[in-house]
Amino acid sequence: MVSKTEEDQVNRLESQVENGGGGEWEYLCLVRKLKLRRSYNVLKYGLSILNDPKKRSAIGPEEWTLYEQVAAAAMDCQRLDLAKDYVKVLLEKFPESKRVGRLEAMLLEAMGLWEEAEKAYSSLLEDNELDPVIHKRRVAMAKAQGNISGAIEWLNKYLEIFMVDHDAWRELAEIYVSLQMYKQAAFCYEELILSQPTIPLYHLAYADVLYTLGGLENLHMAYKYYASTIDLTGGKHTRALFGICLCTSAIDQLTRGRNKDDKENLQLAPLSALALGKDYKQRAPNKVSMLASTLRSLKLSS
Amino acid sequence: MAEDLVLDTAIRDWVLIPLSVVMVLIGILRYFVSKLMRSSNQVPDPKMVKEGQVIIRARNLRAAANYIPAKSFRARRVYFNNEENGLLYVPKGQAQNPQAQMFSDPNMAMDMMKKNLSMIIPQTLTYAWVNFFFSGFVAAKIPFPLTQRFRSMLQNGIDLSTVDVSYVSSRSWYFLNLFGLRGLFSLILGEENATDDTQRMMQMSGFGFDPTKSLGAEKDSLDIVQHEWALPKFERRAEAVLKKLVS
Repeated sequence: MVSKTEEDQVNRLESQVENGGGGEWEYLCLVRKLKLRRSYNVLKYGLSILNDPKKRSAIGPEEWTLYEQVAAAAMDCQRLDLAKDYVKVLLEKFPESKRVGRLEAMLLEAMGLWEEAEKAYSSLLEDNELDPVIHKRRVAMAKAQGNISGAIEWLNKYLEIFMVDHDAWRELAEIYVSLQMYKQAAFCYEELILSQPTIPLYHLAYADVLYTLGGLENLHMAYKYYASTIDLTGGKHTRALFGICLCTSAIDQLTRGRNKDDKENLQLAPLSALALGKDYKQRAPNKVSMLASTLRSLKLSS
Repeated sequence: MAEDLVLDTAIRDWVLIPLSVVMVLIGILRYFVSKLMRSSNQVPDPKMVKEGQVIIRARNLRAAANYIPAKSFRARRVYFNNEENGLLYVPKGQAQNPQAQMFSDPNMAMDMMKKNLSMIIPQTLTYAWVNFFFSGFVAAKIPFPLTQRFRSMLQNGIDLSTVDVSYVSSRSWYFLNLFGLRGLFSLILGEENATDDTQRMMQMSGFGFDPTKSLGAEKDSLDIVQHEWALPKFERRAEAVLKKLVS
């Protein structure tokens, strides 16, 4: 996760470089450190440094790292000719390096030669089982080929070893949701909530999955998680407010006719309806009437 | 009896400054040598990595247990602590002595030896050199007064017992440099440098990353955790938030 100051720094440097001030090398170093994906900018500024022999010698031995970074950015921007050139340069300098081997395999993947890339990655993994980048590239390749179940398999294997990588859990959850395997997706979101309990995004996603699963218990839990999202975002999250209303109406539908013991827990609905109304009035006044009719139809079902 | 000794400026020129310069140079040399000698066997053991990750995951589970529903928490706890194939379960026979394990792993033993040597040998050599050449005279005066207790530590080569304790021998200048140049090294060499002797010494005392013991500890603490679902509290808080927003 990038901190706020670092984000500001990156943005500042970016605007500075764009407007012609110096500082390209700093920008590239910062992007590399924070692992951001600004391939277009990296490519532009990296090229300007690499094509100028004076600037290139000014950075000395870091030039090879720059080659690697720009090659990856070139692959991202589909400039495969540039990428091939840089990979060749790196190969000449470091013939037996694992890092360059990885870059080569990435080039094969970018060119669309899936089988060669797959072979290259497997052989790299034999040498070094614990390189997370290679694992992730394999998953990405499977996903790009449309082989979702293969992607799931590789991702599960990766997560068996590196169980703390929350981005991987998030990716897995999204894949499961796309396949409608909601129970597994719920498990992944639980992992995410465990590792980072204060991020409202995960609560919201978990609540969505629970609401989709349906069933009274899940609906109650979804209601509670929408409430926690509202708490974590100070009541401003529109989707969570809507979630509360929907949950309430769904619970009402299911418990219609039963004894209304736990009806008093569902006091959030009218409040969230009011909050929604206020929000819409501020931001989208022409939709207020639509909102009002939707809310009314939800309440009618109780 | 504070008589003011006048120290020859030649002492400053020929003792203090050369000693500091030599120590800085030796430090830089050691840094580069350690960089060269650092073999490429940086491949971490997959089992160790996995265990480390399991521990972090178990710790997260303990910390945030109240945010997930009770059923999921219990399922996860069983997954971790299950007697037969739980992640944290360490069968009694395998709980090895980590020291033995470390010595039996030849790579790790070599690494430790190399690190120790690269630290000890320059220190010993420099100390011997200082002793041989720069002993027997007063080298510097410490600007603040000291008690008599420090006499044996700071005035080792000087055999006069009437000299004020503030006048120290060059050995103490050596020690001062040893501990003080760390800041200078981090300026010159960047953050990761092998000259952090004091840090290394502190690390050595707390050595022994023992995965088996920490796994057992995590398992026990996970057993103890009581699950108290925090979400109802969130619900009430959300109510308050919305009330404030709407009013």
